Amino acid sequence: MSSSDHAVRLEGVTKRFGAHTAVSSLDLDVPRGAIYGLLGPNGSGKTTSIRMIMGILLPDEGHVSLFGGDPDETRRSNVGYLPEERGVYKKMKVIDLLVFLSEIRGLPRAEGWRRAQEWLERLGLGAWAEKKVQDLSKGMQQKVQFIGTVIHEPELLILDEPFSGLDPINQDVLERIVREFHRGGTTILFSTHLMDQAERLCERVCLISRGQKVLDADLGELKAAERRGVLAVKFEGPDGWMRSPAVASAEIVNGSVHLRLAEGASHQEILKGAVEAGATIFRFDLLEPRLHEIFVRHAGDAAAVDAGLQTTPAGRER
Amino acid sequence: MRWSLVWAVIRREYLQRVRSRWFVASTLGGPLLMAALIFLPAQVARRGEEAQRVLALVDRTGVLYERLEGRLEEVGYRVREEPWAEEVLSTLSRQVADGDLGGFIVLDDATLRAGEAVLYGKSRPSTIRWATLRGMITQAALESQLESQGVDVAALLGGGELRLELLTSEAAGMEDPQGILAFVGAFLLYMVILLYAASVMRATLEEKTSRVVEIVISSMKPWQLMLGKILGVGSVGLTQLAVWVGSAAVLAFTALPALIAAQPELSALQSVADALPGPGQLLLLLGFFLFGYFLFSGMYAAVGAMCSSEEEAQQAQFPVTLLVIIPAALVAPVIQEPNSVLSVSMSLVPFFSPVLMWSRAATGAAPVWQVALSFALMALAILAVAWVAGRIYRVGILMAGKRPTLPELWRWVREA
Repeated sequence: MSSSDHAVRLEGVTKRFGAHTAVSSLDLDVPRGAIYGLLGPNGSGKTTSIRMIMGILLPDEGHVSLFGGDPDETRRSNVGYLPEERGVYKKMKVIDLLVFLSEIRGLPRAEGWRRAQEWLERLGLGAWAEKKVQDLSKGMQQKVQFIGTVIHEPELLILDEPFSGLDPINQDVLERIVREFHRGGTTILFSTHLMDQAERLCERVCLISRGQKVLDADLGELKAAERRGVLAVKFEGPDGWMRSPAVASAEIVNGSVHLRLAEGASHQEILKGAVEAGATIFRFDLLEPRLHEIFVRHAGDAAAVDAGLQTTPAGRER
Repeated sequence: MRWSLVWAVIRREYLQRVRSRWFVASTLGGPLLMAALIFLPAQVARRGEEAQRVLALVDRTGVLYERLEGRLEEVGYRVREEPWAEEVLSTLSRQVADGDLGGFIVLDDATLRAGEAVLYGKSRPSTIRWATLRGMITQAALESQLESQGVDVAALLGGGELRLELLTSEAAGMEDPQGILAFVGAFLLYMVILLYAASVMRATLEEKTSRVVEIVISSMKPWQLMLGKILGVGSVGLTQLAVWVGSAAVLAFTALPALIAAQPELSALQSVADALPGPGQLLLLLGFFLFGYFLFSGMYAAVGAMCSSEEEAQQAQFPVTLLVIIPAALVAPVIQEPNSVLSVSMSLVPFFSPVLMWSRAATGAAPVWQVALSFALMALAILAVAWVAGRIYRVGILMAGKRPTLPELWRWVREA
């Protein structure tokens, strides 16, 4: 393999479908060993970008490189790719499917069989090894496909919406495995429209909207840079200090008051005002911005973005 | 690495298909059906007639019994002669009623003159038995009448002898064993090529619509997948063909002679065995199957790759299917006139060769050089098809959206 320090690199990549531009001069660098989130609402070009990385689509303009070279099948064999539209040979036995998938990535059949058994046991599917894939539930099929994606222990995992359709318990199981691969040095690029998940998992994020890159930054740095604007305050006593010109708006959220700071105002100023007014402060917290807010702020057209973004996945209330 | 990937695809395709219920049913069902068609009618005809096996003949002519005795025994009756007497009818009727006798036949002058006779029995015999008896009685009457006038009845009824002096090297017609072989073989080729080549299309389409192909293609080149698929499905076809041909041979060479020995009235079935191909013809059949299959499966794979739904594929496959159907429609005329200019030229068209050249070769009409030429032309056509279809496949297999138009297809071929 190449000594390039980037697992994936896109330079000025554009893809059009007829009159519609799905991806517009996108630059993307995924450093080796990173865990990288490709975020954006539905239809923003995430899947198209991933399909170009995998050589399934050819870009109209720009250049895609994988491990520092063309995305040919030798390099692609070193990638674990989980497509958004899940596909399996439904009539095959689970174990046969996994052995086949490891065989075409160059593993000896016996080794593929051994690993498949281990993975099936680990994900609680041991009893299903000899069943046909079509007899499994959708969630189980998805786990089988996930095993098929990682069974050859690739250097790079490309996961397109990997957790959609899974219950919370299985989401956690797969998240843990993804983290494990990350610790083992595997580069991970995954797309999601679930901001909470990206917030939990990613080191770096790339936000795209309507085929264009909106943001591309280290998540920690991004949050530090974007940390402005909202204070959560809990207090007793007078509240006249809130009518200061430094406060743009106020609302009550979960028993705290969220104060939005006016442009250029300092939270120190507000704290001083409150104390001087004689309020007893129980909580005074400069809130970390949520990824969702950052994205909305940067994508501009909030309404359009909200239509495709979910902060909390449906059915997941914890 | 390149070939181990092809091999992995072949193995997957082959095992999955061979293990399917449909394959097991059709592979074993073929021979079972063949056996059933041969043995069942014989069994049905024999059922329930054991009691009627003992037959008495009351011969008032004095010449018919000796002619009938042996023949009736040949088809399984136990026969005895009962001399004519006034009370014989009532005696025999009682025996029939008691179950000691299956029935009795009275033969008299009317039998000799017009083949009229009466069969007394408790129940109606099967149509085959009844017709057999009637035929034997009239034939016996005819023979004895003609012989009394000095005619060599045996020779005449044996079909006489028409010696054939060929002035050209004309081939066998449809009714000869060779004609049957040509026809059955052509039909088999047509069916198996269509069945298996078209299932390459369905397999390709299924892989494409289920998106499995995105995963598989990320580890291998499209040609490896396409070749593996074609070889895998082809081996399944070969397996099925081998089981069918093998069991036909077993039936023809062991079971059938045994059956005919046991039930001589079924000797007509011998012609089925006579029509079976020898080793040379089997090899030829195999060759035409393989070449035809490779030719068509490549085209069907390309059709499957450029469509995104079953409905689209149904339409898009039509031109290819037409190339399979046209020769099938020409089999009968070609077998009858195997050396006409049209027959020769059609059988040399690569797409038609498997069915038509086989038909001409099986009847012995096609000279060796024509057969060899057809194989050479098919080989060239296979290379051309592989080149074009491989390119269409490479672009199409990962393409989503609507089916390409002809100009678009041409662009795929040029640019791929």
